[in-house]
Amino acid sequence: MQIKKIYVVALLLASPMLLMMCRRADTFDESGYDPQLSGGESTVFDITSKAFGHSIPGLNANDQHAHDLGDEQSDQTFVTAPAPVNSGLGPIYNNVSCKSCHHNDGKGNPTTGLNTSSMLVRVSIPGSDENGGPLPVPGFGLQLQDLAIYGKQPEAKVNIVYTDQNVIYPDGTITVLHKPAYILLNPYQPLPGNVMLSARMAPPFFGLGLLDMIPESAIIGFAAQQASDNKGISGRPNYVYDPVAGKKLLGRYGMKANTATLLTQVAAAYQQDMGITSRVFPKESSYGQPQYDGRNDDPELQDTILDATVFYIKTLAVPARRNTTDPQVKQGEVLFAQTGCASCHIPTVQTGTDVRFKALSNQRIHPYTDLLLHDMGAGLADGRPDFLAGGSEWKTPVLWGIGLFERTNGIPYYLHDGRARSLPEAILWHDGEAAASRRQFIQLSASERDNLVLFLKSL
Amino acid sequence: MKKIALALIGMVATGAISCSKSDTVDKGGTDFNTLKNTFITDFVNKTAITGYNDLAQRSATFNDKVTIFKGAPTEENLAAAKQAWRDMRSTWEQCEGFLFGPVEDDNLDPGMDTWPVDRVQLDSVISSSNPLEITDIQGLALSLRGYHPIEYILWGADGKRKAADINAREMKYITSLTLDLKNVCQQLSSSWIPSGGDYGSKLLTAGNGGILYHKKQDVYTAVVSAMASICEEVGNNKMKEPFDQRDGMKVESPFSGNSLTDFKNNLIGAYNVYTGNFLGNKGVGLDQVVAAKNTSLDKDLQEKFQAAINSFNAITVPYEVAIGSQRTQCAQVMTAINELQGVLNTQLKKFVVDNITD
Repeated sequence: MQIKKIYVVALLLASPMLLMMCRRADTFDESGYDPQLSGGESTVFDITSKAFGHSIPGLNANDQHAHDLGDEQSDQTFVTAPAPVNSGLGPIYNNVSCKSCHHNDGKGNPTTGLNTSSMLVRVSIPGSDENGGPLPVPGFGLQLQDLAIYGKQPEAKVNIVYTDQNVIYPDGTITVLHKPAYILLNPYQPLPGNVMLSARMAPPFFGLGLLDMIPESAIIGFAAQQASDNKGISGRPNYVYDPVAGKKLLGRYGMKANTATLLTQVAAAYQQDMGITSRVFPKESSYGQPQYDGRNDDPELQDTILDATVFYIKTLAVPARRNTTDPQVKQGEVLFAQTGCASCHIPTVQTGTDVRFKALSNQRIHPYTDLLLHDMGAGLADGRPDFLAGGSEWKTPVLWGIGLFERTNGIPYYLHDGRARSLPEAILWHDGEAAASRRQFIQLSASERDNLVLFLKSL
Repeated sequence: MKKIALALIGMVATGAISCSKSDTVDKGGTDFNTLKNTFITDFVNKTAITGYNDLAQRSATFNDKVTIFKGAPTEENLAAAKQAWRDMRSTWEQCEGFLFGPVEDDNLDPGMDTWPVDRVQLDSVISSSNPLEITDIQGLALSLRGYHPIEYILWGADGKRKAADINAREMKYITSLTLDLKNVCQQLSSSWIPSGGDYGSKLLTAGNGGILYHKKQDVYTAVVSAMASICEEVGNNKMKEPFDQRDGMKVESPFSGNSLTDFKNNLIGAYNVYTGNFLGNKGVGLDQVVAAKNTSLDKDLQEKFQAAINSFNAITVPYEVAIGSQRTQCAQVMTAINELQGVLNTQLKKFVVDNITD
């Protein structure tokens, strides 16, 4: 009995320790894990154009049904009200369906105002609203809708003008950067002179259920770690007002971590991008503006459809890495860490416990993000604050799947506004807190730079 | 498409082991390597390029027929225009058996096949002073362009429109729409050929310095994935949503009553890829590649394709009616398609991983 008691007590004492150890991402040697599994159990092996569109494993029949329903809904084209199917588009909008912008559940083209465009422009005027968020532009709100149903006017058209900048490496190689300027044309009413613009491309849909499960404490821990490392990296979390919670929460989504939950993110996209109202945002984007349709049909989206779309996005798996044993890729991975990229693009993160989905729960994942805001320098700055994010701050984007953009999108585009046409261009845009990493990248030999890019393409 | 996930890890591992197998010779005496390479060449030249070329030609014929109808709006010319729409639609739905490459990268699919029709905007456009020239049409939303707005005007919401019901503005609109459609189809056709966008060469160089498709296995994976995707699209989306909701308004191509033909042609399109046979232009199909190594898998796939394609014959009324009156038959079609999709997603994908290793 005595022995048994001791055994039980020891086990009880040991269990929390074991659990704590298990929650740490790097308890075991790296070689004990399969580096292909970017999303842990939520990893899918597909290198085709459909690589971003698979559900996480382990969904039961009901969950798969909800996922499939959300998949269908995200593909639906909305049309002008009143209509028997998918009614309520606009009257002003950016595109007609989720997947019109999120091409193959991924990105799209950095153009605006076309049927094929995947970019929108956020707007605001200096100051902040009662919740600390950006201040809407009177008559325009917080986002320019650059398309309109027949008979209405787009709020404005956005012209993008690129100018070239050369970056010359010590070995004489030149990479041409492509700096965009955004010019607003034909506003439906005069725009104030102090309007601030932020162009943003549609990000991929997948892996968001895993990001949702990263404990807030882990994200704050990354900021603390960066501060104590004292290497000039000073990530900080954004806290944003969430209309569903009615309070401020940690921001995880959006280019400036300006949205806290997937529900709010999806509902805002329906309302702002397509003009489709829901229980979360029951008023049209044009409400209070001259082009408001005044129709008594809100919310236009059934709750179940909104929830299915959120469910779909939450349960999309992450594509597996490729070529992980290739020596060049492995060297690139080492260089990625040595040049300091991994300080913000954190390779390995552990998700918290989720009682609903085993494949999202306690997963060792490789998102390559800290979900924190960083000063990225003047070249990338939009000058438009968003809650706590300043005009030159951006959230570290995930890098998983980045090597598959050619497959899912034809032509790949990188960074928040798609200005980078190649991965070296994207790296060379890094500045501010990332200036040292950028300098180190430039100093690498051509083959080392190539290997670093090969590593990124393996993600 | 969606449920493969981790199961494939094991397949990759077994694939690595089985790649040491020596190549076999099929019954016809053709070396497996030759078959494997010829499938890619024939898929590009005899299926994809042939298919899109036929689509471009049919789109030109359709444009001609609509122009003739505009000049002489008789019932006979309306019937000819409708038939040309169906003919073109038939090839397009078969081309959906391989929906990858420029058709998706350049958004050409939504450029011609967006559904539903935005009827409110369509009425606004028709009753406006818009000149409705081709350049005006190209500025309109995709739900006002392509097959379905043309279908809506030719057939009418109830499918019973007469030639005399189509007014001059609608005539002008659809002649510009058919020209727009012709342009999109020509762009698609051109995108694959050497004198155009030459997408075909991206597949042909696989395993031999190819950039987009590094390995031949990548081409096979893309082809099989596209076959499985169209099954998913038909069996789990296009048919299932109106069936589950018992809502005929959710059926694509409802005005012409062409939905069942569309669905069946999607399946035939995937089968064409499998057998390497598009419009009688026979090349080496996946079936020969599979049969060279695994005759029972080929037999299973042939049977499941036939079962899925033939299952449509049991439905004797338009789909929007059948979801009410012939539910058993509709369900049987979806079951047959799902079973086919299951084999494509599991056994055929595994076959590719195991046997196409370069």
